Amino acid sequence: MAGEEGFFLEEKRFKQYCEDFVKHSQQIGDGWEWRTSKDLGDGYLSKTHFQVRNRHIPPDLKKKNSDNLEQILFARVEEPLDDSQAAGVCSAEEVVRYEYHVLYSSSYQVPVLYFRACCLDGRPLTLDEIWGSVHASYQARLQEGPWDTITQQEHPILGQPFFVLHPCRTKEFISAVLSGSQEHHRHTNYIILWLSTVGPVVGLNLPLSYAKLAPEQSTNADLAERALS
Amino acid sequence: MTDDKDVLRDVWFGRIPTCFTLYQDEITEREAEPYYLLLPRISYLTLVTDKVKKHFQKVMRQEEVSEIWFEYEGTPLKWHYPIGLLFDLHASNTALPWSITVHFKKVVELLFFLKHFHCNLFLVSRVREWLLHFSNFPEKDLLHCHSKDVIEAHFMACIKEADALKHKSQVINEMQKKDHKQLWMGLQNDKFEQFWAINRKLMEYPAEDNGFRYIPFRIYQATTERPFIQKLFRPIASGGQLHTLGDLLKDVCPSAITPEGLHVQRSSKEEALVSPCITPPAVLCSTVFQKARLELI
Repeated sequence: MAGEEGFFLEEKRFKQYCEDFVKHSQQIGDGWEWRTSKDLGDGYLSKTHFQVRNRHIPPDLKKKNSDNLEQILFARVEEPLDDSQAAGVCSAEEVVRYEYHVLYSSSYQVPVLYFRACCLDGRPLTLDEIWGSVHASYQARLQEGPWDTITQQEHPILGQPFFVLHPCRTKEFISAVLSGSQEHHRHTNYIILWLSTVGPVVGLNLPLSYAKLAPEQSTNADLAERALS
Repeated sequence: MTDDKDVLRDVWFGRIPTCFTLYQDEITEREAEPYYLLLPRISYLTLVTDKVKKHFQKVMRQEEVSEIWFEYEGTPLKWHYPIGLLFDLHASNTALPWSITVHFKKVVELLFFLKHFHCNLFLVSRVREWLLHFSNFPEKDLLHCHSKDVIEAHFMACIKEADALKHKSQVINEMQKKDHKQLWMGLQNDKFEQFWAINRKLMEYPAEDNGFRYIPFRIYQATTERPFIQKLFRPIASGGQLHTLGDLLKDVCPSAITPEGLHVQRSSKEEALVSPCITPPAVLCSTVFQKARLELI
């Protein structure tokens, strides 16, 4: 797996790419910001946005996780209130608030995408709902191993429950995009490449203007690297 | 590492006597007796409390039962932390048995209300839908645990991350799925030999290397928002000598070192004064902490 070597990202570079990323986001009003932790000086990218979505669960996943799914999403009370009660609730459109964080994993030496989602009334989405909302193009991959792909985890800086796109699976998603050595992609902002590849899996899309982040704008990373070596 | 088998066994079979009591505001038809259990330090709350669930379910109606969660003196207990870690973090200075409060019940009163109050169908269905999720589960503090699959996924993710640090994931990735399953089954069924038959491979390194690539460790603090400190730390210094636990702490968490040395508590009964200058964390890793991860309080 020699090609995988090129996908590792050093933490200082991560921070520099994030800085360039935020600058561009500010220019186009895309809503990303960098948050620094007060105690150890590390930090993460953060963005909140709202999405309207249709709630439904693909039948296969429903079979795998039927324990609570019936109870939670298809809300059947023992005695129906009224004979004319419809099950329309299940596929209602609703607005969901998504909060995305990009953190650095020193264990895997890659960025990691954390996110949480809740309805406007504050109800957090369940894991099954999150799996169900994974983009159709990635459903097959997800169903091969949902427990290896997206699960709930504790946010390493905030200590709160978030959903995580597993870094191991990230390498699979990104290897489809990054062919060639790291040298070739030296001037590319890794965060933009990575986020534009994995983000859509969980409903996060980058406007095309990020691709315009030209090599001269990302030379800060190279300068930093040269200064360090 | 075979010399340390006694220590490995001591760690594996460590137990904490615990008393489970149902949360007092959760009114039931009959009063529930507290339930006593010896909890394995190395396991997870939601993996070892089926008997606790069964016991308290006897005094509840089926439709009232919701996701179980545990709390100690007002603090929700993170089931995804090993039990020993939870105890050391929250209750190590208190007398045994450890008293844990069990939360189990949906908010029933409002459901009852809905069953008998007619109003706009759409509104009712939305409220009902909302309520069926509402079980006073502390969403901001605890991960959900709806099945054993969740625990297995978490456990395996920890093992994999530790191996990413120790071996660049080479050892864990070379193993077959059945080996991964054996690690999990060993933990789930409390089978020391079965677990270590596989885990020993994760605790080895090539002779020429003299150690792991990085030490997998986390330092937990009860008082901070940040749940733990985890950084890259090499077992061997640039000069070739082994790093010690003291070196690790100086590098990562200097406030933990007192002038007298480092006080390491392995359990509320066993305390060992470990000289930071002598004990290499890699040795601690392999002898004291069997889950391929060093966890310090």
